[in-house]
Amino acid sequence: MASVELAGVSKSFGNFAVIEELNLEIEEGSFTVFVGPSGCGKSTLLRLIAGLEDVSDGTVRIGGTDMTDADPVARGIAMVFQNYALYPHMTVEDNIGFPLRMQGTDKATTTRRVAEAAEILQLDSLLKRKPAQLSGGQRQRVAIGRAIVRDPDVFLFDEPLSNLDAELRVSMRVEIAKLHQTLGATMIYVTHDQTEAMTLADKIVVMRAGRIEQTGTPSQLYADPDTQFVAGFIGSPRMNFLKAHYADGMVTLGPDVAWPVASLPTENSEIIVGIRPEHFVPAPQNTNLPVLVEVLENLGGTRYVYGQFGAEQPVIVEDRRDVEIKPGETCSFPLDLSKAIYFDATGKRLRPTGRD
Amino acid sequence: MVSADMSAPDARALRLARQRRRSLNTILVDRLFMVAVYLLLITLLLIVVLPMIYIVASSLSSPSAVSAGRVSLWPVDFSLRGYEVALRDPKIVSGFLNSIFYTVSGTLLSVALTIAIAFPLSRADFFGGSLITKLIVFTMLFSGGLIPTYMVVRALGMIDTPWALIVPNAVGVWQVILATAYFRDAIPKELYEASRVDGAGDLRFLWLVAIPLAKPMIAVIALMYAIVQWNSYFDALIYLRNDALYPLQLVLRNILILNTQSNLTDVAKALERQQLADLLKYSLIVISTVPVLLIYPFVARHFAKGIMLGSVKG
Repeated sequence: MASVELAGVSKSFGNFAVIEELNLEIEEGSFTVFVGPSGCGKSTLLRLIAGLEDVSDGTVRIGGTDMTDADPVARGIAMVFQNYALYPHMTVEDNIGFPLRMQGTDKATTTRRVAEAAEILQLDSLLKRKPAQLSGGQRQRVAIGRAIVRDPDVFLFDEPLSNLDAELRVSMRVEIAKLHQTLGATMIYVTHDQTEAMTLADKIVVMRAGRIEQTGTPSQLYADPDTQFVAGFIGSPRMNFLKAHYADGMVTLGPDVAWPVASLPTENSEIIVGIRPEHFVPAPQNTNLPVLVEVLENLGGTRYVYGQFGAEQPVIVEDRRDVEIKPGETCSFPLDLSKAIYFDATGKRLRPTGRD
Repeated sequence: MVSADMSAPDARALRLARQRRRSLNTILVDRLFMVAVYLLLITLLLIVVLPMIYIVASSLSSPSAVSAGRVSLWPVDFSLRGYEVALRDPKIVSGFLNSIFYTVSGTLLSVALTIAIAFPLSRADFFGGSLITKLIVFTMLFSGGLIPTYMVVRALGMIDTPWALIVPNAVGVWQVILATAYFRDAIPKELYEASRVDGAGDLRFLWLVAIPLAKPMIAVIALMYAIVQWNSYFDALIYLRNDALYPLQLVLRNILILNTQSNLTDVAKALERQQLADLLKYSLIVISTVPVLLIYPFVARHFAKGIMLGSVKG
């Protein structure tokens, strides 16, 4: 187990800066997930920690030691790649034992540790097979086995589940979570899938265009996002964003939809109201939002209503009421105002003073 | 068009019949195309195979039949005289052994050097890689020519040594390009990265991962080098004086020349010698081709895989 600390880390490829002046601390034994859209620099950041890319500026410390210029093998890390990166000509046993062989570990110890890793990952019966004879999930387990066997201080996962089908992804997700509990090692996990991030992480780092947008626990990011980007990225279906006007303590969404909000730090300006689909429920602080229903998605226990509010503002509502709705109708949905959050036109969060 | 007074089931039947005729036409065109393809391939096959059959048949015929041009695709007056004369010559045996030595050692050296050049060139982070590639390709387009090359070989003290046949042509540009492309495209970058994380350096990655995975490519370039080395006689002709070092091809060439140089006054003997020379041509071709034919099946599997290199990803 070790902590990871990035101080003023930058990375550019030629003139193109991928990561700029990034500072981050990852606690010992935590499960941290880097999440963000494609090209946001999350994989590059992981590779900088792994030592597979050199930092252009800044310091990488692992377990308190400066590892900025250290070789990957000297950093005490193990990495699981998106496409498994198994050696195709070696058996499962040789693949898992490869790092030990490189360390010059004796044969008996290698065999024992490979067997231990295989037992944890239920690969015992597959040790003599080659990667081509394994399913995607089994291959990824072998890749994890190769990481475990080194007994690293930090595990790095680079989108390890994105090549698996949906069902397998869920079960592997659970296995990785269990693995974290069993080993207690520091794990850093990169994904663009916010569900994976929400379910696995102790701490989520939301990245955008090479910068950290916000860091926090899954529930913090969900309930209290700092920016419109984070609010939109975390949560599925994504948060609704509706254009509104704020003046004299009143938020006005449309002719009949307005409510008072105590002092937002702006005045007489266009703002954005954020409402999650599941917050369309009756509440003490309540207003009704008229939505032109376009598509209904019935999921059994609940249903999602896809529609429009006002001038072509898309809205998704999670509706658990037992009321018949048809596409083409305009329905009024109750909206829990205590859950509404506000952003300025640039997407920065506006927090009402005296209420949060 | 379906006429207005036609009932719906009739219209459907008509439409189906038309569709069926259309698909039958497609099948017919496909078949004609296949027939044309087969005819073309069979013609090409015959163009390649018939001369080979002719050579084998001639080599197994009597000298007089060969000389008189009576052999076509089957031995006439079956005889092993050509092989007997060729294999009785002690120089053939030494030539054979020399050729095997040159081919094996030359191929090993060539493959080793090609891998040593191609592997670094395949890496994007290899400093100066593109300049070195350009220099290598330059030698493919422009070479020093025969006399400067000879002078270099002489200056290196390799004249009349086996080195003269192995070293000067040890690296083939085409093989380097092929090997570089294979290392770059067929071996995923992640394997290299995984091996770095696992603690393998460049050499161990090359030895334990890249070379085992590049077996098809290595088989292809080894076969290319081996065939060139086995068939080469020109380097031996210009660099070697000691006939104990001659490769098979040069020995065969000398036997042929010896048997055609006719300064005999006896007409009967001269005729016999001429007939034998004609026969020897064929026997010698067979003798020198057999080793290549024997090796080929072992590498053919890889060759078929390797020949597709770079054509299709994945």
